[in-house]
Amino acid sequence: MGAWITLLPVVFPILAGICLLPVKFQGRKQRERWVLVITILNAIFALYAMYGNEAQSITLFYFGSRLAVELHIDGLSRVFGTMVSILWIPTVIYAFEYMTHEGHEDRFFAFFTMTFGVVLGIAYAANFLTMYLFYEFLTLVTLPLVMHAMDNKARHAGKMYIFYMMFGASLAFIGFVFIFCYGWTMDFVPGGVLDASKIVGKETTLQLVYLVAFFGFGVKAAVFPLYRWLPKASVAPTPVTALLHAVAVVKSGVFAIIRLTYYSFGANFISGTWAQDVILVITAITIVFGSMVALRTPHIKRRFAYSTVSNLSYILFGVALMTPAGLVAALLHMIYHAVLKITLFFTAGTILYKTHREYLYEVEGFGKYMPVTFLALAIAGIGLVGIPPFAGFHSKWALATAAVTTGNAVSYIGVFALIISALLTALYVFYILVRAYFPRNRKYPDGYYDHVEDPNWYMKGPLLVLAAISIVLGLIPGTLLSFLETAIASLV
Amino acid sequence: METISNVVIPFLIFFPMLGSVIGYVIGKKNKKARDVFAMLVTFLVFGASLLLLTGKTEPYQMAGVCGLGLTAMGSGLQMIFAIMTGGIWFLTTIFSREYFSDERNRNRYYLFMLLTEGATMGVFLSMDLFTTLVFFEVMSMTSYVLVVHDETKEALRAGQTYLAVAVLGGLVTLMGLFMLYQKAGTLDMDTLQQSIGMLSDKSEYYGIGVLVLFGFAAKAGLFPLHIWLPNTYTYAPAPASALLSCLLTKTGVFGIMVITAKLFLHDAAWGHFMLLLGMITMLMGAALAVFSVNLKRTLACSSMSQIGFIMVGVAMQGILGEHNALAAAGTLLHFINHSLLKLALFLSAGVVFMNLKALDLNEIKGYGRDKRLLQFAFLMALLGIGGIPLWNGYISKTLLHESIVEYIHILEAAGQSVMLMKTVEYLFLFAGGLTLAYMTKIFVAVCIDQNSNPIPIKRQGPYISKVNACILILCAGILPVFGILPHSLQEPLAAMGRDFLAAHAPEHAVHYFAWVNMKGAVISMIIGMVVYFGFIRTVLMKQDEHGENVYLDLWPKWCNLEERVYRPLLLHVLPFIGAFFARIAATLADGVVSILRMVVFNSDNRKVIPPEDKYFSAYTDMETDKMVYREGFARSLLMIGIGLAIAMLYILI
Repeated sequence: MGAWITLLPVVFPILAGICLLPVKFQGRKQRERWVLVITILNAIFALYAMYGNEAQSITLFYFGSRLAVELHIDGLSRVFGTMVSILWIPTVIYAFEYMTHEGHEDRFFAFFTMTFGVVLGIAYAANFLTMYLFYEFLTLVTLPLVMHAMDNKARHAGKMYIFYMMFGASLAFIGFVFIFCYGWTMDFVPGGVLDASKIVGKETTLQLVYLVAFFGFGVKAAVFPLYRWLPKASVAPTPVTALLHAVAVVKSGVFAIIRLTYYSFGANFISGTWAQDVILVITAITIVFGSMVALRTPHIKRRFAYSTVSNLSYILFGVALMTPAGLVAALLHMIYHAVLKITLFFTAGTILYKTHREYLYEVEGFGKYMPVTFLALAIAGIGLVGIPPFAGFHSKWALATAAVTTGNAVSYIGVFALIISALLTALYVFYILVRAYFPRNRKYPDGYYDHVEDPNWYMKGPLLVLAAISIVLGLIPGTLLSFLETAIASLV
Repeated sequence: METISNVVIPFLIFFPMLGSVIGYVIGKKNKKARDVFAMLVTFLVFGASLLLLTGKTEPYQMAGVCGLGLTAMGSGLQMIFAIMTGGIWFLTTIFSREYFSDERNRNRYYLFMLLTEGATMGVFLSMDLFTTLVFFEVMSMTSYVLVVHDETKEALRAGQTYLAVAVLGGLVTLMGLFMLYQKAGTLDMDTLQQSIGMLSDKSEYYGIGVLVLFGFAAKAGLFPLHIWLPNTYTYAPAPASALLSCLLTKTGVFGIMVITAKLFLHDAAWGHFMLLLGMITMLMGAALAVFSVNLKRTLACSSMSQIGFIMVGVAMQGILGEHNALAAAGTLLHFINHSLLKLALFLSAGVVFMNLKALDLNEIKGYGRDKRLLQFAFLMALLGIGGIPLWNGYISKTLLHESIVEYIHILEAAGQSVMLMKTVEYLFLFAGGLTLAYMTKIFVAVCIDQNSNPIPIKRQGPYISKVNACILILCAGILPVFGILPHSLQEPLAAMGRDFLAAHAPEHAVHYFAWVNMKGAVISMIIGMVVYFGFIRTVLMKQDEHGENVYLDLWPKWCNLEERVYRPLLLHVLPFIGAFFARIAATLADGVVSILRMVVFNSDNRKVIPPEDKYFSAYTDMETDKMVYREGFARSLLMIGIGLAIAMLYILI
């Protein structure tokens, strides 16, 4: 097998997805069988490539002497790749049921499968060019998913999505060009690739360029003020919002920023400069801003989307601390948030699917009629607030610890933002729970509780599994933590 | 035996949690079996808690759980509290069966009640502050469901406040613990005592201390975070109120004791701060109770006031420094005595409520006229909480009073002004008097007053079952026993907690029934009678045409911290400010986009969302073809082009 196994999980779903495009499946069962087999096979390929194989590079093309499309698996790839591969399977199972009410499943699953490969491509990219390539490709391949409903709202969201992404990519491209000019290689090297002899006297410019590129990749990570596409994109079908807009797409933005910061420019180059301060302040603002707006948003999915905006900046804040402890905390929060938010979106999607209710005030008293759904919502929600012993507490603790130990005065702003945001999170999560379990009125008009019941096992299964994962991760963070520490060991 | 000693502590914490789930499953099939099962679980927990008395249990550790690991132990103070929890919970569970016999959602109640028991055990057995907080949070969440059990509008509103205060308090405490952990490197109680408790200058820890205090003070109902307490106790079902008052609120007190004894050991400044909070809480609770015309609200405000008494003891521990033996004993004993008293009182109130479904003094007055048992229970509790010699409350109040007197002596010996402490002493005695006054008020209302048109009784059969009658007799009967035998029953308890509170043994035995100690109680009694006859009977009551007493609700409506300050602030002012700034921030970003549109794209910005459009991504009612070109994909390309051009230009220059 050799190096080809690295390529397989990237190419296989893309090819499979393309082959699925023209296929008209006879029925639901047939489609489910094919898509599930492809997804599980690819998850196995991906895990095997990451753990069963000595990390090998594979080069696909050369563009001149210094540019190449190359895949390589390192510690960071493992973190991102594993998270995505594991979460993809429950999402697909959930989507089988959910998509029955959205229609056009053939097209949906074709693009959804392709996305899997593209995201792994970002994870496995060995150099800036490859990552940039897959990064752009991700925008294109997810666009049909965002606009799936093809009504006005969806098209508007899709348009916004592509504008923002293209804009971001153009900014990121500037960073790409500068790394090309001032680095000794395009590969990702722990500690950065800037050529010390070339950058003398141009530090400030390069810091500015770093900032520009940060905001470029930050578009996908929904950093303020470039976050607007994310709440808008919540019109997409729930599996897309859950997996892509809480995990895969937004976190590939985060992932790219980590690569940019730690593997291209180098944390030492940025650390302690004004650029770092700017990022710390911006992320702190986004943290509070996202939670604040979430609190004022009655639409459940959009509320969670704003919550994602806030939580992504928790991660970026950890990244911007420029210390190994900060990065570990960031990665920890990345994983916790992935599990929690995917669960929350699934519950919101379940409510939408079963009852067609989208707003908070429409779900009063549902807790009794949809026990499993709201149990999952309660577990994930309380975890998101960060109340011990639930998941989410530990990562926030780690983030705050990392921030304080840097001793940087600006990072205290971030700690303060974390606390304010935790309070706001508590408010916007408990508001839903209280309304759902303890309705304000004793009686509701006839038909209010029609069809309010738990969904079938296609949906209940993933919900329960994810909620259980979040509890286990919350109770025993030690294993995860040591896994993350080994993953970034080369940076220390 | 080896194995038993290792499993007792995890059993106490996790067995109720496990039992709650099993009970829930059983309850789906058979309600009766579920009730019995819940009693069995609480009985086993109580039995297991008694095993701690053997003194052979080892500290229990769960390394790595929740990141920092959990540790618990069961000796000394922790043991007393665990046994108290086990016993009170067992009695309450038995009592619950009759109380809830015609209620809905019982399954949910039992599920969360048992979960809460495990969490409460966790708090009381914890060995480090992190474990305390973890279980404290779980307890807050699960007890919320108990509070709102009735699902009435008032209960939901009270629960809302309860939850908000609990969550906010918990997070602030978490922040405090985080900072403490950063500074001290540990949260283990004993290590903290060794490292920080022994520092001579603790000034840099005061801020942290206040943060940590916040959540615990909120749970304990300390001013100004007491706002949740009166309503929550009033509208929660009686067994839940009993648990809240006897145990859950006490977890907050436990937290405060930990801070005071471990962090600010013998620290006078912290002691004075706590004294201020304690005095305000004590007087305010008592005043609210005097004005209240609702049986359970009176008891609720009384709880608040008694917590104030305990806080005075906590404060005196700090102020007295090395000589705090009396204060430490008084604090701990009042903690225990108050739980015993409130158990009897809330269960009695529960008996009244389950028969009448009413709590307003004007509606329930005279209900206990022909019920000897109820009269006995109320009378014992009245005498106990009023601090009458030979009842249990007297012992602990005397110790607290003595500790204040002791400090006055110390100040006199040092030649310093005693004005302040004299005031404190008189206010303390005055609050004791108020206690007697409001307790007399409810006793007279329930057991003596005439009522010519009583409200109908809402249930059939005897007003209390035999089992519950036994429980009530036990709860009330134990009070004088504790009061008559202070040396053999109360002092050993105080001795057990001494280590934890870092107190020395008292230098001399206290003669509780000597005149010098009785004097305080007598002064309180006189004040109490003056307040009752001179204020309650003349101002807060009037006589109607039948010559019966009518209780007036004269507490001014505007004087309500929750409605006047907290709710408007949290629900309107802060969200408004936040949303205002968020909107401005969002507009800034949008503004840039708009300006760019006008300048770069020369757009007339007359875009609207049309009902439908023929072309992909056209969003205007103007010439569509042109707009497709201008607003569509080309624009993105243009943007990329600009990006590229800037980059290239820069490289070239």
